[in-house]
Amino acid sequence: MSSKEEILKKYRANVRERYDMPDLSDIQAVTYPEPLVQFVKMSEMVGGQVIEIDPGRDINTLIRQLFPDAKEIASNLPEITIATRNPDTIGRARDLNGTDIGIIRGSFGVAENACVWVPQTMKEKAVCFISENLIILLPKSQIVNNMHEAYRRIEFNDYGYGTFISGPSKTADIAQVLVMGAQAARSVTILLMPE
Amino acid sequence: MSTQHSKAAKEFLKNPNYAKWHDATFWAVRTKRDNMAQGLEEWEQLREKASAIKRHTITHLDEYLNQFATNAEKNGAIVHWAKDAHEFNEIVYGILKNHDVKKMVKSKSMLTEECEMNPYLEARGIEVVETDLGERIIQLKGQKPSHIVMPAIHLNHDDVGELFEEKGISTEKGNHDPTYLTYRARLSLRNEFLTADAGMTGANFGIAKTGDIVVCTNEGNADMSTSCPKLHIAAIGLEKVIPDYDCLAVFQRMLCRAGTGQPTTTYTSHFRKARPTAHHMHIILVDNGRSEWIGNPDHWEVLKCIRCGSCMNTCPVYRRSGGYSYSYFIPGPVGINLGMLRDTQAHSGNVSACTLCLSCQTVCPVKIDLGDQIYKWRQQLDDFGTANPQKKLMCAGMNMLFGSPTMYKMATAVSPLANIIPSFIMNMKLNPWAEGHEMMKFPKKPFHEMIKDYEQ
Repeated sequence: MSSKEEILKKYRANVRERYDMPDLSDIQAVTYPEPLVQFVKMSEMVGGQVIEIDPGRDINTLIRQLFPDAKEIASNLPEITIATRNPDTIGRARDLNGTDIGIIRGSFGVAENACVWVPQTMKEKAVCFISENLIILLPKSQIVNNMHEAYRRIEFNDYGYGTFISGPSKTADIAQVLVMGAQAARSVTILLMPE
Repeated sequence: MSTQHSKAAKEFLKNPNYAKWHDATFWAVRTKRDNMAQGLEEWEQLREKASAIKRHTITHLDEYLNQFATNAEKNGAIVHWAKDAHEFNEIVYGILKNHDVKKMVKSKSMLTEECEMNPYLEARGIEVVETDLGERIIQLKGQKPSHIVMPAIHLNHDDVGELFEEKGISTEKGNHDPTYLTYRARLSLRNEFLTADAGMTGANFGIAKTGDIVVCTNEGNADMSTSCPKLHIAAIGLEKVIPDYDCLAVFQRMLCRAGTGQPTTTYTSHFRKARPTAHHMHIILVDNGRSEWIGNPDHWEVLKCIRCGSCMNTCPVYRRSGGYSYSYFIPGPVGINLGMLRDTQAHSGNVSACTLCLSCQTVCPVKIDLGDQIYKWRQQLDDFGTANPQKKLMCAGMNMLFGSPTMYKMATAVSPLANIIPSFIMNMKLNPWAEGHEMMKFPKKPFHEMIKDYEQ
């Protein structure tokens, strides 16, 4: 008998009363009169920065202004013309180390906790974490209220990976003092893109 | 009752300033949790749903585990089943050996602590590097976690600063600023991420309907552990599998709000398969007692636990005695119960570490009756042969005293005489009730006489 069969056999022999699945459709989840306002507020609370982009504004110039000292910029987005590295064509994932700014796209944001859904859309997802500073391009109109709505919307492509990101990497593991920039991006800037 | 925990707690209480800081720190986390909970009108409804989902799922695990494994395999992952810790360790080692792995980075996993995986692999020549900052600190220190979410909470910034100096991680002697130390650890761990051959993660959730492994971290270390190495192994306890995303939404909203008082973890990452440039992803489903515990009529619901840590944060005994006072590697209310399920003989001392205030089950996001369960374990202590003889004798005495009205009246009549015994005798070491506080003063008249006067 395989371990799988043995485990399941033992479980079936031991499990007692079986309980029904509750109805989840009646959850009275929080909604906001202006989800975008709440999203911006929460993003700042979790240590992120949000910039609303006016139609026609060149984000490449803006990113240069935001990070004047940045040398290595990694992105595979067609609208980013200042990239020095491409996570689709890089030799090994580790070669993305030393990236000053990684620029990626998010699908939608969540108002209640500032999560942004980032499905993997590049060969090496390392760019989302290894970069010192992360910039996420997010369509301004794509903000949902809460995680219930979010989990009805998430989609995967063939890469089979996606993550919700809410602000920069952080830790309080030394004496409970909050420090931004543990193992992944030390800053997160969300650019709210016009339609 | 047993005194194993209180004896161990003496060590913790030797440094009263630290003990006070520990208590206040966890109370602050509890307060943050309250702010989060009170900020959502649906919080109590979410707790109800979370509890009901878990009750359903852990009593239908055979169906959900099959569904999860089928879908994970369809996604391209390789799924293994481990009956116990030994088989789990063997499977991990087998995979690593096959890929000629010398170094593995890993994110936090209480399951690998439970299976004592690190020493098993290290004895076989594999370097294992913990990448959660707290876990890394205690690994360098050769210690065990003292809390499941804040594993290095028993160390202060000077302890960490000195450790980093000794290990060559920090270069500025005497700079014990947490921001500086975190930055130095970042640099050191960055090098480990880049040079490791494999990355291991635990799993907060497995999703039956889609085959996802979901890992929640604040540091991004699970994502870093799986972004560069060519191999990803995920370790998941059977009870962590849930039906679908609608269920996940409930738990995702509660996990961090309950545990650390944040609205979410920074990263909630879904893994379905390996990166295009990596080998297959391996998922190891681990039983190690769970299929047996589900049959325990009083204690099966402890399998609902999502490991948020809120029961320890709020526990007055944990806050004032620290993680190392418990004999099981998971401390606090849920650790007391898990330890008893694991080995009643070895861990029954922990059931004394409870005031039955039930704060734990008031905050538990999945509504486990943690305190009630501890009470039930206590009723069986005598059967385990671990009851404290002194307390047993006291109980027998009290039984006699309170069982006989004549004897009780006589005793209360003479009790004020205890007041005139010199305090150095009453507060001496032989009287365990006088430890840490002065002996009480007996009233001149016993209560039943006072109430008679009042009625007249």
